[in-house]
Amino acid sequence: MRVLLAEDDPMIGASVRQGLSQDGFTVDWVEDGRAAELALANGVHDALLLDLGLPKRAGLEVLGAMRRRGDARPVLILTARDAVADRVAGLDAGADDYMVKPFELDELAARLRALLRRSSGRATPLLSHGEVELDPAAHEVRRNGDPVALSAREFALLEALLARPGAILSRVQLEEKLYGWTDSVESNAVEVHIHALRRKLGADFIRNVRGVGWMVARVTRT
Amino acid sequence: MNSIRKRLLVWLLGGLLLAVAAAAIGTYLRAREEANALFDYQLKEMAASLTGAPFTTMPGGLPGSDNGNGALVVQIWDRNGVQLYLSQPRRELPQYAQLGFTTVQTDEGAWRVFSTYAGSQVVQVAQPERARRELAASMALRTILPLLAILPVLGFLIWFIIARGLQPLARVAAAVTRRSPTLLEPVAEHGLPDEVQPLVHALNGLLERLGRALAAQRNFIADAAHQLRTPLTAVHLQAQLAERATTDEERHRALADLRGGLERATRLSEQLLTLAREEPGVAERTMLSVDLSALAREVIADLAPVAQAKAIDLGLNASPTARVHGDPEALRSLISNLVDNALRYTPSGGRVDVGIAPGGDGNGVTLTVSDTGRGIAPADRARVFDRFYRGQAAVGNRVAQGSGLGLAIVKSVAERHGAEIVLGDGLNGAGLGVSVRFPPVRD
Repeated sequence: MRVLLAEDDPMIGASVRQGLSQDGFTVDWVEDGRAAELALANGVHDALLLDLGLPKRAGLEVLGAMRRRGDARPVLILTARDAVADRVAGLDAGADDYMVKPFELDELAARLRALLRRSSGRATPLLSHGEVELDPAAHEVRRNGDPVALSAREFALLEALLARPGAILSRVQLEEKLYGWTDSVESNAVEVHIHALRRKLGADFIRNVRGVGWMVARVTRT
Repeated sequence: MNSIRKRLLVWLLGGLLLAVAAAAIGTYLRAREEANALFDYQLKEMAASLTGAPFTTMPGGLPGSDNGNGALVVQIWDRNGVQLYLSQPRRELPQYAQLGFTTVQTDEGAWRVFSTYAGSQVVQVAQPERARRELAASMALRTILPLLAILPVLGFLIWFIIARGLQPLARVAAAVTRRSPTLLEPVAEHGLPDEVQPLVHALNGLLERLGRALAAQRNFIADAAHQLRTPLTAVHLQAQLAERATTDEERHRALADLRGGLERATRLSEQLLTLAREEPGVAERTMLSVDLSALAREVIADLAPVAQAKAIDLGLNASPTARVHGDPEALRSLISNLVDNALRYTPSGGRVDVGIAPGGDGNGVTLTVSDTGRGIAPADRARVFDRFYRGQAAVGNRVAQGSGLGLAIVKSVAERHGAEIVLGDGLNGAGLGVSVRFPPVRD
């Protein structure tokens, strides 16, 4: 999952990015409100972590403009303002969650996963598909109950495919899920990861639609 | 006696008593004059009435027998000076007759005497003056008695009226008592007597200034708490990352980051303390004669390692001694903050110059710190002295990491020393140049 972090403090931004990366998120970090709006316009991020005291454009303004555009992506506010009135203002402006600094990285990651889960319309924390089960919090994948060892990128790719079964994701879309702005993308990286996943999960688990992209078939429940 | 009411009462009643006494004296003097005229006339009449009849035929003695104050003494002599008649033996009265009115001093006091010829005899009528004085005194007493009688009534009235007049003061006092640090609204000024209004007006001015100072203080504390939370959050996160580290290399890097975060938090709290110490009235420290050049040399020596690490050419261009009148610790933090700021916002390979121009000929010492950094846009220059304000150059500058308090400290110290700060361009037209002009030292 790729998230946008809007935070003007360099130390906090670097730490949050590092911590969330360790939890399997792809994090893009901007340091002011205007840069956040530009990044949001791309539409590649699944969620926004928003500091309220941003230079150039305040966090609440960014959030308001986002909601007015009809952008429904989950937004989690990270701020030092802990007064009840501030929280109410933040949530009423369209935020989905509110965390007061200082916060725990584990809790941040858990809340982020919950937001992403709800935004994709699921109630269960597990993504399951046939005999394959993916646990985003524990970073585990099981096939028929047996753990399957996946690299971080393979895991992220599988998570992206399982989040929307039946949808075809292009190579560019998958790359966007896997790589932040600062990561360098190898030319056939997606193919390499797909190949590895097929080897570990079964050859026909991920289907290729030639010229379009990849998908996991929608499961017909029995 | 500190009560306006008591003081007014005593002075007013005292004044009234004096007036009554003056009236009594006046009345007495006039009454005595009138009594003199009246009694003299009576003496004359009496003498005249005695001349018509031979004293031998006077029945039952003469009028004016001793009937108290009005006692009359009559003596009659014949032409040869032989006393023919004496109504009462009075040794002290003269045994001769001086014609007309005379006043005779005797052991019993002054007597008024009238003598006249009556045919072949000399008639003398005498009366003690005491009678006249007593009459005058009783007249004066009758005049002032009613005045004395209403004096207590007046006193009560005065007491009551003053109390009413001072009621607004009590109201104002009650209103002021209700004020507290959280409730500093002005006391109502309408409906107050002209004498009380200036006091209340001045009081309201004080309340307003106090309210502003308190609000500034509250804002500062709120700001400070908020600003402390940011570096502490960073430290918190850095510590979590250090805990998560699985390899030695990761742990080393995380701990180095954590150290950086701690240094930032420490620096911010130190800056807050410095600023708090500069608050006016917190602690009045003694002002000494300070050599600014020596202080600048020390500060530059302290910060030289920072400059070397960033490959910045840091130098001092100062006269040997430049004395100002001031607080050495505060002045050191002023110079240190200016140089530190310049080093922060000057990119690697840049240059920071500290200059001290000596005072003399009525000019004070001028301290300048110039750099080749990004400078401050003229639009921002007024606001950079605000606490926690960070200009555009500071925002998003990952290396700088200022506390946002440096220039606020500089401003506080400068204000306390009566120095003037001017922001200008830095070296070669780029960067920032800060001049602090100290007033000339007075002997």
